[in-house]
Formats: sequence, structure tokens, C-alpha cells
Amino acid sequence: MAIGRPARSRAARQISGVTTRRLRALRRGLPALALVAFALPAKGAAAQRIDSIAPWRGTERTIAIDERLAADAGLRIGDRVILGAEPGSPTGDTVRIAAIVERRADPAEVARSEYRIRMHLDHLQQLIGYGDRVDRFAIATAGGAATDSVLRRINSMAFGFRAYRSREIAVETSKTFLVVSRFHRAIGMITIVASATFLLCIMLLKVDERRRDVAAMRLMGISRTTVIRTVMLESSFVALLGSLFGVGLGFVTAAFVNAHYQSVYRTPLRFAIITPSTVAYSVLLSLVLGIGAGALAARRLARTAPLALFGR
Amino acid sequence: MRIQLAALSLRRHVSRTLLAILGVAVSAAMLLDMVMLATGMRESFASLLGRNGFTIRVSPRGTLPFDTEATIAQASDATAAMRRIAGVTAVAPVLGTTIHVLGDAEPVTAFALGVDPSVQGDYELLEGNDRGPGDALVASDALLRATRARIGDTLDVAVGFDPQLRTYTGRRRVVVTGRARFTYLSADDRAAALQLASVQAMGGADRTDRVSLFMVRTAPNVDPESARVAIERALPRVTALSTAGAVAEAQRRLSYFRQLAFILGAVSLTVGFLLVTTIVTVSVNERIGEIAVMRAIGVSRVHVVQQIVIEGIGLSLAGAAAGLVLGVFTARYLNSILRGFPGLPDAIDFFLFQPDSAFRALGLLVASGIAAGVYPAWRAASLPISTTLREEAVG
Repeated sequence: MAIGRPARSRAARQISGVTTRRLRALRRGLPALALVAFALPAKGAAAQRIDSIAPWRGTERTIAIDERLAADAGLRIGDRVILGAEPGSPTGDTVRIAAIVERRADPAEVARSEYRIRMHLDHLQQLIGYGDRVDRFAIATAGGAATDSVLRRINSMAFGFRAYRSREIAVETSKTFLVVSRFHRAIGMITIVASATFLLCIMLLKVDERRRDVAAMRLMGISRTTVIRTVMLESSFVALLGSLFGVGLGFVTAAFVNAHYQSVYRTPLRFAIITPSTVAYSVLLSLVLGIGAGALAARRLARTAPLALFGR
Repeated sequence: MRIQLAALSLRRHVSRTLLAILGVAVSAAMLLDMVMLATGMRESFASLLGRNGFTIRVSPRGTLPFDTEATIAQASDATAAMRRIAGVTAVAPVLGTTIHVLGDAEPVTAFALGVDPSVQGDYELLEGNDRGPGDALVASDALLRATRARIGDTLDVAVGFDPQLRTYTGRRRVVVTGRARFTYLSADDRAAALQLASVQAMGGADRTDRVSLFMVRTAPNVDPESARVAIERALPRVTALSTAGAVAEAQRRLSYFRQLAFILGAVSLTVGFLLVTTIVTVSVNERIGEIAVMRAIGVSRVHVVQQIVIEGIGLSLAGAAAGLVLGVFTARYLNSILRGFPGLPDAIDFFLFQPDSAFRALGLLVASGIAAGVYPAWRAASLPISTTLREEAVG
């Protein structure tokens, strides 16, 4: 489908050429994951409408465009554009922009930069010569057993149709994100190993630096257990403070990452989310590593003769 | 002498040294992986597109090849127009569609390409031929497995299935004449190639003289960019994309991975630097008295600095060497994860080991290790000898 301004308002110029049918993703190695343009019933708009005007009562058809198209093409509510089924098509349908909608926070759309418009179903069918056809129906049910019953009835009665649960379709279409998620987990594991080694190293060195203090404590008659506990307490305190600082740094970094990628991809999607479980995991990990490293180093120090610790 | 002293110093705290080497190795592995990720996608994608010598892809205006089901009308005229452009040596028209192989059981669905076998660049024949008499079909292994067909068998193939009326826009009996590997598809994809005219005819009026894209080959001495511009000028209803443009577009779409690689690579380098700095600084602080004694007996300041810097280099080199091995293994593992993307062509690799980039990255890590040792070494060597000796003696 092509969209352009009518010649009378400004020289008609093509903005994009797309089709409405099912996409064939990755056929040429470029990840293509989303529908390009789609028609929805009036109540079906999933995107948030950010600007619109009162319903038009005339015969002129109206469309909604996404904010990216509006921004890039300088289109506003009330502007008239020409829609054509083919790029550069000599004939077209002049329509009025009635709404500008915000793009959804959909990971499938992130890397794609195409524009989207929303039209009434009959309008799109007529424009592309699709007849009384649709690609799919979305059906709302009361949920639970009602969904099973509807699925059974459609699949047994309707000829040429197949009904699926939304969840099944989501699983089927989210394989790309499962791969990305597995990749992130693997990268996360490597990062954890790297940071754990770093932390262990630092904690060992930190405790090792205390050899003179430990020697003095031992010479004053303080027991080995007390020395070990003191050093462990100190290292766990350092680990706790460090992890709290790390959590703060994580929040700042996540905010920066989100701001950066949201601006790059022009999407409200949040790329980095810090959950309570993430915080708990990282604090716990650094505490365990801190206490473990402290215990190891403290035991070694406590077993060494105090004068040897002094270097005598 | 300096090397020996540095080695002795590192061996004095074996566990600490091993831990530091492990830390640097993990950082080096991460850095190497990120360098491989940043360059791998670009290189393998460029290599994929450059196969068969086709340098330009021509698709319906505003679209990327096979990004939508849009087609280019009057394909014969467009082919002729492109052949007239200076520097264009071959034009390969391609029409994509979905075919259904009919049989006793459920129809087997596959992706089919209508091509001109004499100039096609979409598949590599593994067995048989693609120019049999009548309607010939070349199939991928996945399609042959699904249909249980062999070369020489005849298949009942249909296009344009209407699920309600159970009708097709076109149906033909074709002979399987060859087995092929499809360059731009994954090994699991059921795919077939037929004569362009057959696919157009089966598609009905909607597909008459239409193609999904053209692949254009240019002469080696011709700049593809100038040919691309000439094509767009000659055919206003198409978008021509050179290999460089396609790689740039793929880079843009996958910029997330590139930026992730940059960020994690920078973090790895910083972690490696900090680790070596910390280890060397602590090691130097512990040996301040020893260094003061060395200075007192006439060892030069430069000698002391060199010895400490050698320690940093030793840690970085050992870590980088271990990181090289670790990095290659982790890259293979990470690549196997990302290769799970549905429909990814077999030829695409996300992590590609390129010696130049890899050794540059590891060299950077070693250089940062050297830099990490210089400051603490210089500080230690610059301490006043008598004061340090007295403080160390008093404790």
C-alpha cells in the first residue's frame, strides 16, 4: 500500500510502499517480524490514541496513522492523503487523517522502521481488492471453560478455519524473543562469572591488607574465632555497601539504556527492567562472595603466626 | 633479571595471581566475544549477499526483498530495461510464493521460488539438475523428507489455496529433477525452485508477468552504487539496494546487538584494567620496604618500574591467552544460541573469529595491563628511600 498527499494540497509524494498480507520473515536474512499495515474494527485499536478529532459524518473516509509517520512526513490531524494499493499507483483513494496513535511497546516492532496506518476493515478490503476476506478474527470469550467450548465449536463446525488460543499463537510467534532471552541469560552468566572473580579478588586483597591489624589483635590475646568473625563481618559490610552502590548504579544505567534505546527505536518499550528479584539476586551473590572471600582470607591469616604476619 | 624478579613476585602469592589471571581471562573472553559479535554479523551477512556475484537487489518501491508480498509488475519490461543499463551483466528475476504438495495425506506446504535457472543465485545444486524437460522442481532436503520424494518422482503441486472452497488458483504436476541447498533459507525450511513462468502461471492473473525481486549482477569494474542509481532512475516503481546498502540496513536492524557488544566490550576492558591495577597496586604496597631496599642498594628507579610493569604484562598476557581459548568456546556457545532464530539462513553467523580484530582487542587488553602497572610502579619507585625504610622497620 502506498500513501501520499493529494496533488491539490501539495505535490503527491510517496512515503512508503507496503502490503497488508502476511509477511514472510527472514527470507533474505533480514529479521522481519511484524505486520506492516492492518485494518481493525473501530473498537479494536490496541495502540493508544494520542490525538484525534470527532467522528467524521461525511462520505470521506478517515484513517489513523502512527506518530512516527506523522512526525516524519509532517502530517497532522485533518490532513488529506492519497492511499494506493501499489507504489506509484496512478489511482488512489483520498482520505483524511482522523487520529494519530502511539506505537505499542511491542518487541516485535522494535527493529522495524516501517510506518503504520489503521483503516476501517471494509475500506482496506475495497482498496486492495481483497473482497469480503480477512486474515484472521480475534474473539473475546468469557474465559476458562468458555474458551475451550468456543475453540471446540469453531474447529468442529467451521469449514476452512482453525481456531487457536492467543497463548498458543504468542508461544509460536515469540520464538525470536526466546532466543534473545536465552542469549541474554548466557551473557548474564558470563558477566556474573567475571564480576564474581573480580569481587573475590578484591575481597581477598582487602582482607590480606589487614594482616598487620590481625597480627596485633592476635598478639593482644584476641581469639582466632573472634578475629575471623571480625574480618568476615567487615568483608560482608563492604560487600553489602558495594552491592547497594551497585544497585543504585544499576538503576541509573537502566534509566540511561532505556532512554537511549527508546530514542533510537522510537518506542515506549522498556529495554532494561530492574526487578526486586534481580536486586535480591545481585545483593545475595555479592554477600555470599564477600563473606566467602573474607572467611577464606581470614582463616589463612588467623592460622599464620602473628610475628610472621608482621614480616618478622 | 627483571623478568625473573617479576615471576618470583607473582609466584609469591600463587592463589592471588591465579585468581587475577582468571579474572583477566574472563574479561578477555568477554571482550573477544563482543568483538566477534560486532564484526561477525556484518561480515557473514555481506559474504552471504555477495555469493554468486549479485551486487544489487531490486524490490517493489519502499520495501526490502521479501519483506512483504508486494510484487513488481511488467517484469519482462523491467528486465529488459535493466539489461540495457551499462555495467549490468545479468538480471535474475525471482517470484516467491507458497506451494502445497498434494498427496494422499495432508498437503505439505513449502516456500517456492520461481526463477530462471540459467541466471539464478538462490540455490546451489547438490544433486541432479534444474533444467529438466517440462515442469522441473528443485527441492531442499527438508521438502524431500516431508514429501518422501526422490529425484525423478512426480509431484502434484498447487498454489493459491482457498481453505473454505478447497480450491487452488493453479495446479501442476512437476518432476523433481534436483536437490539443492537454498542460500538464503535455513536448512529446516521446506523450499523448492521452479521455472519462473510456471509459478507465474499457477498464481493466476495476480501473478502474470510479476516478480518479487530482481537480483542484478554487475561487471567487476563497475561501481554497484552507480548501477543502483541508474536502475532506480530507469524504474521509478522499484527500490534498488546494493550489497553495501543491504548490509547497512541489516546492521541498523541488528544495531541492538552491535551496541550491546560495544557496551559489554568496554565494560570487559575496564574490568580487566581495574583488576590488573588493583593487583599490581596491592602487590606494590606490600613490597614498599623491599623496593626501598632495592633502591638503597643502587637498583635504578627505571629498573624497579620495569619489574613491576612486567608483572602487569605477565598477568595480562597470561589472562589474554587463557581468554582467547575461553572466548572462542563461549563464542561458539553463544552463536549456537543465536542461530536458533527462526528462519535464519545457514550461512549467517553472529560470532565470527577474525584474527585481526581478535588480536587487536586482546592487544588492547594487554596494553591496558601495561598502563595499569605504570602508575603504581612509578609511585613506589619515587618514594623517599630513607623515610620508607625507617617506616617499614618501625612498622
